[in-house]
Order: sequence, then C-alpha cells, then structure tokens
Amino acid sequence: MITDRLKKVICETLDLRLDDVEIQDETVANQVPGWDSLNHVNVITAIEKDYNVRFKSIEILKCQNIGDLQNLVNSKVG
Amino acid sequence: MFDLDLTKLGDLLAYEPSDPLLFGSSLFLFFFFAFIVFYRIFATSKNIRIVLILLFSLYFYYKASGIFFLLLIFSSVFNFYSGRWLFISASQSVKKFILVLNIIVNLGLLGYFKYTNFFLQILSDFRLGEFDPLNILLPIGISFFTFKSMSYVLDIYLEVMEPTNSLRDFSVFVFFFPNILAGPIDRASQFIPQVEQDNYLVSKDEVGKALLLIMSGLVKKIVIADYLSLNFVDRVFDAPLRFTGVENLFALYGYALQIYCDFSGYSDIAIGIALLMGFKLMDNFNSPFQATSVADFWRRWHISLSTWLLDYLFRPLQMKFRNLKMYGNIIALIITFVLCGLWHGASWMFLFWGLLHGLYMGFSLLLQKPKRKLYNALKLTNTKLLSVAQKIITFHLIAISFVFFKVDNFQSAFDIFNQIFFFFKPNVLSQFIEGYTPTFVILIVGYVMHFLPRSLELKTGGALSKIHPVVQGLILAIVIWICAQVQSAELQPFIYFQF
Repeated sequence: MITDRLKKVICETLDLRLDDVEIQDETVANQVPGWDSLNHVNVITAIEKDYNVRFKSIEILKCQNIGDLQNLVNSKVG
Repeated sequence: MFDLDLTKLGDLLAYEPSDPLLFGSSLFLFFFFAFIVFYRIFATSKNIRIVLILLFSLYFYYKASGIFFLLLIFSSVFNFYSGRWLFISASQSVKKFILVLNIIVNLGLLGYFKYTNFFLQILSDFRLGEFDPLNILLPIGISFFTFKSMSYVLDIYLEVMEPTNSLRDFSVFVFFFPNILAGPIDRASQFIPQVEQDNYLVSKDEVGKALLLIMSGLVKKIVIADYLSLNFVDRVFDAPLRFTGVENLFALYGYALQIYCDFSGYSDIAIGIALLMGFKLMDNFNSPFQATSVADFWRRWHISLSTWLLDYLFRPLQMKFRNLKMYGNIIALIITFVLCGLWHGASWMFLFWGLLHGLYMGFSLLLQKPKRKLYNALKLTNTKLLSVAQKIITFHLIAISFVFFKVDNFQSAFDIFNQIFFFFKPNVLSQFIEGYTPTFVILIVGYVMHFLPRSLELKTGGALSKIHPVVQGLILAIVIWICAQVQSAELQPFIYFQF
C-alpha cells in the first residue's frame, strides 16, 4: 500500500497533480509520467530528504516497483 | 553418377573465418530448413528439441569461430555455477565477492581478446615502453555473449530472478544461434522460462510476423545496406576529398541508413528465426530516426544493449553520484557512453563516438530548463512543428556521430565535414542524382519506409499470417530471389560482427 506521503513526494518532484496519477504497489517507475531514467535520481533524493533517510545503492537497485520502494522506506523509518 | 568431392564438402562445412554461416547465405538457408523440419517433427519432445538447438548452435558458432566454441562452453559453465553459488550464499559480503569475481573473469576474458593490443598501443604511444602487438584473434560475438551471460549473474544478485537448476537450459540461453553473433543481448529472466516450457507452440500470427521480419531483414541488409555501402558510401568515405560537399552529405545520410539497415536487418532476421522456433527475443530497434532527442534515440536504437547499460552500469553510477544532483547524472552518462563506445571496439574513434553521445545528453540535461521556458514562451510546447524540428536536429546529431563510428582517424572525419561546409557545390546535386540514380532512389525509399507508421507493419504481418503456407513459402522465395538479383557481390559481413 503506497502512502499519501510517498505519493506526494513523487508527484511534487515530477510536477504532477496528485489526483492525476494512480500509483499502486505494482506500478513501475516508467508507468508514471516523467519518471524516466534521468529523473529517477531526483525522485530518490527527494524521498531521502523528505523522510530524512539514506538508502544504500544496492537497496534502490533491487526495487522492482513502487511497492518495493515503499517497503524500503518503511524499513528505514519504522 | 554423382561426382561428389568429399574434401570440398568437408571444406564447406569446416571452420572458415572468412565464411561464417551468414543469415541469408544459401548454406545457412539449407541447414536451417533441415533444422526446422526436424525441430517440428520433434515438436512434442522438449528434450530432443533442446539437444537439437544445442548441437546446431555449437556447430553454427564453430563454423564462425573454430576452437573458440570451447570459450562459449566455459562461459556457460562458469556463469551457471557463479549464479548458483551467489544465490545459495547467505552472507551479503560473499555474494558481493562472487559477483566481483564473476565480473573480473567475464570482463577479463573480453578485455584480453578485445583490448590487449589497444592498451599495448597506448603504452607505446605514451612512450612507457616498446610493445609489439600480440597475435590475438577475436572470437566473433564475444561482446554479445559475454554481456548476455553476465546479465544472468547480475540479475540473480539484484534479485530480479532465481537461478535455473539446469545447466542444459542455461546453455541454450548462452549458445542460442539466432542471437549469438550479434544479439539481441537477451535477458536470462525472459529467455530461460521459454526454454523450460514444455510445448512448442507457434501461432499462425507468429509465423506471419516471423516471415515478415526475415524478409524485411534480408531486404534491409542486401538491397539497402550492402548496395549503399558498395556502390556509394564506401567510395566517398575512402576518399572524401575527391567528392564535393553534396556527395559527402549524401554519404553521411547514406551511412546512417546503411548501419541502421545492416544492424536492424540482422536483428529482424534473428528475431524472426527465433520466433519460428517458438522463442520471443527482445526488440532491438524501434524506428530510431524518429527520435525527438538523443536520449529518445537510445530508447529506440540497439535497445538490448542500451537497457543492459542502463540497468547494470548507468543506474549504479547514478546512485553513487547522486549527491552531485544533475552533475552526478552527467558524470554517469559520460562514463556509461564512453564505455558503450569502447564496447563496440578498441579504438579512439569508438571511444570518441561514445563520448560524443555522452556529451550530447549531458548538454541536453543542462539545457532542459531553459529549453522548456523557451518553448513555452514561443507557444511551441507539444506542437507538431516542435516535434518535427526535434526529429530533424536529433537525426543530424546522430548522423554526424556515425561519421566517427565509420572512419579510422580524425583526419578523415575532418575532411568529410570540411567538404560539406566549405566545398558544398549545390549545383552538383543534379549530376549526383543522374550519376547515382539507384543509390538516390534507395536512400529516399529507405528513409520513407523508416517513417511509415508501425500499424502498417502489423497489418502486413497479419495479412501474411492468413495466407496458405505454400504461398508464404513462395513469397519468401521471391524475396530471396530479388535479393540475389540485387546482390552486387559476395554477401557483406554484418557491421556488428566485428564487435
């Protein structure tokens, strides 16, 4: 389950309106408008800043979809 | 009655470096026909089908590379066990150790065969010692099968897939003859499940699609790429100063079309052949000259390599440098594309070609915000006009970069651009069209075909699939006959074989 907070960070980084995008656990990055390979790093650093956490590179590389990313965030915050 | 010279037959079937089993050669067509007949007879027996693929693939590789087929077997065994050990290791540091060891061995072999002489040359050039080049033969396709095998271990490390239990099935992935010499660089996670499925099922639609791919591949390779290369492009590139700017410019356009048709033609045939065997390979090209930016070009050109580099090189670098924000992205881009250039071959020209692409994208990233503002101010955002302009600019940036890809030294590239900019002679255009009419027509037809909508391709494939198999065979025979008529000399080796 993707939290509103994560959705908000993603949408703010990509200049999207919260209501315009549907983000589920299985959604993959390139299904979200504007989330391409170059913008990827902006989304990740924005999440790190918002949650005040630091991911290891390998942890991010292992994420296959946004659900995995949410779990990673949870594991760091929780 | 039959005066068959067995030694000649032996010579024909034995390893001959200058005579690999090129798709499109009559020997390949003969063998493949026999292969597919047996393959269909044993449609219900998975084991026999797999053994057939393994044997035919090893022979196919032996015919092109001789004793190096042992390297292929080593690559398969080594990566299979690396993947298994990596997966069963409990500790992260052991996993990392196995991964690093695997990368060192894979890239070490690739480096030895491909880059040793280049580095010896650099050492000599910088006067760090006197080194004579070593006599090292390059095993054909090594860059392709090394990357293909590495993706298996990397994906296990990144937890994208679990290892297969069968060395035999993994070997089908590594040896698979349609993509062994020049890709597509398929991923184990997509391919191995296809080996493991029990039934050999090819629908009518897939047969139609496969035939269309094989025919379009042959036409691209023989009618367009080889014709342009032999009759025009090579002549200009060999002595640019003997031609005016008009001819140099057309050679530049000609080479862009040639390399696209050569390489995507090969990929089309490979994908088509695999499809007839019931395997779906990765798409490798998607109308690359319709790209609206260089980044978009790399989403459409040699997709199997660009996604490989994206997943296993660019992303890790991007994450490493993420504190540097946009500049981290630019550094990661430049490193990735310089190495992408070097992957193509050990030379300064390939390195520069890669660097140029890295710089194109780096600048584009730097200019992203001002460009967006400018387009908004001029009310051009999302307009057809902007998209057309972007396509034209991108195409020219790419075509210019291919000059460095083709020539042997900077002087030749400089000569070509010098002729285009300072010795253009527009009045030569009519003479060019008159003197090189078939070349001109092929150039125009080639580019027009490239810009046709994809839906037309799907419709043609659909129509082909509805035709009776005998008529399908007849159409294929006619296309092969046309190619044979156009073929001006021996079938030219595919450009990407040298990588």
